[in-house]
Amino acid sequence: MQVMSKSDWLSFVDRLIREDPSEIVGVKSKGPKFVFDELDSAEELRLDYDVTILPPKKYFLPVYEDMMKYDLTSAFSVDKMVDIPPRIVIGVHPYDLVAMEQMDKVYLGDTTDELYKARREKTLIIASDILNVSEDSFAGSMGTNVSGSGYDLLVTDLGDSVAVDVGSEKGGSLLSSYANAGAADDSVEARVAGLREGVASGYSKSVDVDKADWPGLLTNNHEHSVWEEKSDKCLECGSCTLVCPTCYCFDVNDTAALNLESGVRTRTWDGCMMRDFSLVGGGEVFREGIKERYQHRIYRKGMYIPERYGFTACVGCGRCVSACLPDIADPSDVMNKLVTSSMGVPKPLPIPEAAPAAEGLAMVPRPATIVRTETMTEKEKLFEIKLDDGMPLGHGPGQFVEISIFGVGEAPISVSSAPGGDTFEIVVRKVGDVTGKLHGMDAGDKIGIRGPLGTGFDAEALKGKNLLFIAGGLGVVPMRSLFNHVLRNRADYGEVTILYGCKDPSELLFGSEVKDWEGRDDLVHKFTVDACPEGEEWEHNVGVVGTLIPQVQFDPNDTTAIVVGPPIMYRFVIRDLKEAGIPDENIIVSLERRMECGIGKCGHCQINGVYVCKEGPVFNYADMKDLPEAF
Amino acid sequence: MTKPKVAFFDFACCEGCQLQIANLEEAVIDLLGVVDLVSFREVMKEHSDDYDIAFIEGCIQRPMDAEALKKIRENASIIVAYGACAVDGSVHTLRNEFTKEDVLNEVYGDADVEGNPYWDIYDKAKPIDEVVKVDVYIPGCPIDRDEFARIVSDVLQGKAPKLPNYAICVECKKNENICLFELGEFCLGPITRAGCNSACPNVKSGCEGCRGFLDDPRTSAHKEVLEKYGVSVDEMMAAFSIFQYGKEGS
Repeated sequence: MQVMSKSDWLSFVDRLIREDPSEIVGVKSKGPKFVFDELDSAEELRLDYDVTILPPKKYFLPVYEDMMKYDLTSAFSVDKMVDIPPRIVIGVHPYDLVAMEQMDKVYLGDTTDELYKARREKTLIIASDILNVSEDSFAGSMGTNVSGSGYDLLVTDLGDSVAVDVGSEKGGSLLSSYANAGAADDSVEARVAGLREGVASGYSKSVDVDKADWPGLLTNNHEHSVWEEKSDKCLECGSCTLVCPTCYCFDVNDTAALNLESGVRTRTWDGCMMRDFSLVGGGEVFREGIKERYQHRIYRKGMYIPERYGFTACVGCGRCVSACLPDIADPSDVMNKLVTSSMGVPKPLPIPEAAPAAEGLAMVPRPATIVRTETMTEKEKLFEIKLDDGMPLGHGPGQFVEISIFGVGEAPISVSSAPGGDTFEIVVRKVGDVTGKLHGMDAGDKIGIRGPLGTGFDAEALKGKNLLFIAGGLGVVPMRSLFNHVLRNRADYGEVTILYGCKDPSELLFGSEVKDWEGRDDLVHKFTVDACPEGEEWEHNVGVVGTLIPQVQFDPNDTTAIVVGPPIMYRFVIRDLKEAGIPDENIIVSLERRMECGIGKCGHCQINGVYVCKEGPVFNYADMKDLPEAF
Repeated sequence: MTKPKVAFFDFACCEGCQLQIANLEEAVIDLLGVVDLVSFREVMKEHSDDYDIAFIEGCIQRPMDAEALKKIRENASIIVAYGACAVDGSVHTLRNEFTKEDVLNEVYGDADVEGNPYWDIYDKAKPIDEVVKVDVYIPGCPIDRDEFARIVSDVLQGKAPKLPNYAICVECKKNENICLFELGEFCLGPITRAGCNSACPNVKSGCEGCRGFLDDPRTSAHKEVLEKYGVSVDEMMAAFSIFQYGKEGS
């Protein structure tokens, strides 16, 4: 530990402002509150602050961040935005250091976020010990009022002098370049320790549940009355998530300039408390109720994130407490209300052991060319696509890609062709902006591709098994990537049965391929329509797809059912399969949500704690059946 | 690609939203590069009835205005209602609780307006979509220039423009404002549709709801908050009335 006089500390900060090429930001007052903002002089720095309105995450995941710029006058031209200036942030409190280290695990973990990484590397953190405790904070009982890591320098303002702990080489050289500091003796260290003890005992709020017990307590209290009591008062303003240092969800938008020549793709903070957070292209809001949204926020903090990453996604800063007008956001109050309840053991999340490789999964799409299109029905069109770099997509069955049309946006689309080949196929229903634009495109047009993304069907594990495919409506599109693979490698699999249903005969997809099945004696197939309008020809079954199940023979104990269709279909077909005696773990499903970033960060596709874009979209039914948001 | 022909029209309003567009400055030049402007009273003399997109400002007070608007609807393939008056009637609906006789008498006194179509007003002021189908809405008093630019660029690209369905609080937090309730002010931000970048709270002035409510505003929770912060019912009703007179939730 080193120490300098108060005036030397002020000179140090002033020298940084004047001489260091970095932008120098620190805690300043804003009316009765505090914010991190650019410093003009050391005088402005307020190390005596209690808490800032927004956490320093705004420097790593900016409120609005231009992710890429594109030129709309050429076929495909994109610039990554990575011109990030160096910055020094002064005054970061320990609870925010803990939050930043959490965010690092998410954004620098299995799939690195390039923009976040660049900002993080170019930022130097001068942390500060807490001098005044915020009345809304419960960091003391979360163990986040002190931190031994995450900083380049840590300063403790002792009134007449300032103690400094060097946390990194960069911090050390900054200190030796600009500061007049000397070694601290035992008395300084004792004063620092005393100050920290004083802070630790200065908290008026506390959480009475050890954070290690939060997941267990939440597991058993999904039906507790606290959820309704709190959420009834919720304004749905989103403030609690926006001011939170551990919330990191975002939304991505394309905006073209008025001259329609250029545009930017921007991301901005989003939050699960807002109704449209789980809205999908078709208009369905998957987390419909205010109570479920309220629960999601707390469960994410206390159960989903701890299960996934091993830390509690609350650092007790109290910002949400201050920001919430109806006084319902406080996680400590929720946990304290649950404290007398019984504990359960959370079921582990279905996270694949080996996460898919992160290659090519950045947010910047690769250019690709449409090589062929085929109109399938009034609403569906097939596109055969080739990546411009000549590489095959390299997808597995059941995976998806993000289709990018600059100026309009991105949409997650299942790959419909079997693995292999230089090109791949997608079948797109015209429902939104991206799909609408895509429908107007033809061979030769350029689009952007990210992927393959997600976890698809495990074609290896299915080898040797009897397979019962059940597809409803558009579900046949992703399913085709698997059954065409199976039919191509027919000898590797047992009995194959395909049941396919759609609304009416005009909606039947892949008609010519389906015809080819007629001549095969190595598969059983049956078709159905919900209804056949008068005047249309239909020689097969009429009724929902489940009505086909009793019409085929299979050994329920030795058959894997693969079910893909709209949400409502799962409820009925799974019930029918259970009645037929198929065990839960032999049912494979593919679920659809709003997969926006495709790499498990933006948060929109979550089913409780599960990221559909990463762990899914293909799941074993047994892993998902107990999640309230799944079916 | 042929440039879409664009026309601007105004009915009962202050024409302040047109001024916002004129004030887009460089972006106006950009816009003129991609559209063919055929009518815009505030900035040009020429006029044509051959257009694809019509921008309508103001609300409908008179049968003669309704007829003119219906003609516009016949000519245009896309109608954009812009500004609070066009979108939901705005301040004009304040007269809706009085009879039209009382209104005319209050404003014109003894003047002889009987039988003159210019003074022939409806019983109630009407937003544009009570007279014709509206394809695109741009709310606000006045409109937000950036939002206008974004929505117009969406329309020109054939993309369905979306308005935020979250509260002003979201933008207020992103701007790191101090909550006006904490400063003892009244604010409709928690139930008002965002999209103005929290323009009024940014200058410490409470939101008056000119952009209209969210799709599903949490009004009862908002009332509890108002009570908690000691805002009187009169104060609350007065603030609601400016832009949201007689609207559901107020």
